[in-house]
Amino acid sequence: MRYDLSDFICPLSKMKATEIIDGLDGGETVRILLGDPDSLKSVAQELKARGIKPGFEQEGESRFVLTITR
Amino acid sequence: MWYTYSKTQVVNQDKEPDHKLKVYSNITQLIASPENPTPLVRLNGINPSKDFQIYLKLERYNPFGSVKDRIVSEMLKALEIGNRTVVEPSSGNTGIALACVANALGIPVEVAVPERIPEEKKIMLRFLGTKVTEADDALCPLFPTEGARGVVNALIKSPATRGGYISPNQYENELNVLAHYRMTGPEIWKQTQGKIDYFFAGFGTCGTITGVGRYLKEQNPEIKIIGVEPSSPNHKLPGMKRITGLDEEFIPTILDRSVIDDSVEVTDEDAYKTAIALARKDGIPVGPTTGAILHVALRYAESNKGLAVVISPDDAFKYTSFYKNILEVESKGTDYEI
Repeated sequence: MRYDLSDFICPLSKMKATEIIDGLDGGETVRILLGDPDSLKSVAQELKARGIKPGFEQEGESRFVLTITR
Repeated sequence: MWYTYSKTQVVNQDKEPDHKLKVYSNITQLIASPENPTPLVRLNGINPSKDFQIYLKLERYNPFGSVKDRIVSEMLKALEIGNRTVVEPSSGNTGIALACVANALGIPVEVAVPERIPEEKKIMLRFLGTKVTEADDALCPLFPTEGARGVVNALIKSPATRGGYISPNQYENELNVLAHYRMTGPEIWKQTQGKIDYFFAGFGTCGTITGVGRYLKEQNPEIKIIGVEPSSPNHKLPGMKRITGLDEEFIPTILDRSVIDDSVEVTDEDAYKTAIALARKDGIPVGPTTGAILHVALRYAESNKGLAVVISPDDAFKYTSFYKNILEVESKGTDYEI
């Protein structure tokens, strides 16, 4: 499942990403697209606090994809 | 249809009702003004000084229960809302006032609040039909200590939502200052017959201290304007802001430091103890921010002379869950004498 949050700036992006992560079943994987560095930073901080290490890809200058498995 | 009370016509559908008889054509007309000021009450119990009289300006007597009623009406009137939803960060009082005024005008409202505000305020906002977003203070690196402001900023600026929202933005809206310059300041000047020597207010959005301070200084430059701030950024004084040490970009742009003569820090403990002591010695139940501001005024009373006015932003009823913890400690034997 891929969620495009690139039209939300921080902290809306973080809040929506948190909702998505909270809704994941154990072992489920999602890809979250973020549209600015502040959003990337805040979502990454949230994942770190939860002990989740995401996969990371950059698409163009300011589109970041996090692959998250709960 | 005409309704009459005795021989006096109190409600006439064609004419403005008589405000002297306390009849109004809508709830917003109860918002305080120099013609309908909030009360000024002298403190006789908590203040032992005969040379430094302290009067509380009880803003709880505004129709929605706080000083914020004054600014909300002014700010909403000036907004070109269209089909958008009004959204604002608030520690509760602005949100409640905004919700009430907006409901009276049929305008949709959303409010972003810090998680740490009392549950009573969140319940009131939901009671009023407002969508409430709770935000942790550390939610957003762009607004490191004010997540609620970050949420509103994101709603206004995100491509996905920006066309649907508009914010009065009380931190940058000069109408916040102007409401106090036009209303609160003249009320105090008139109520004290120009004899005021000191005015005490808290730093928050800074509209009150800037607007009242500016007006009073114009009447008499000798009047001292004293600002009160929490001693720690992680405080339990909703609506107050610690200005000292704050990055310039997060200080409300409407703050005019030139009208402020002194700023004093207060701990949560002193603020809550003072609020409780005031209730017990003068019978006035106020919120903890009033306790904070009054604590500083009482310190001034120890070594100064004159007439002081202390702004009391709201009442105790929205903070009972906060007071509960202190009262539980007290019931175990802690002495709360100031």
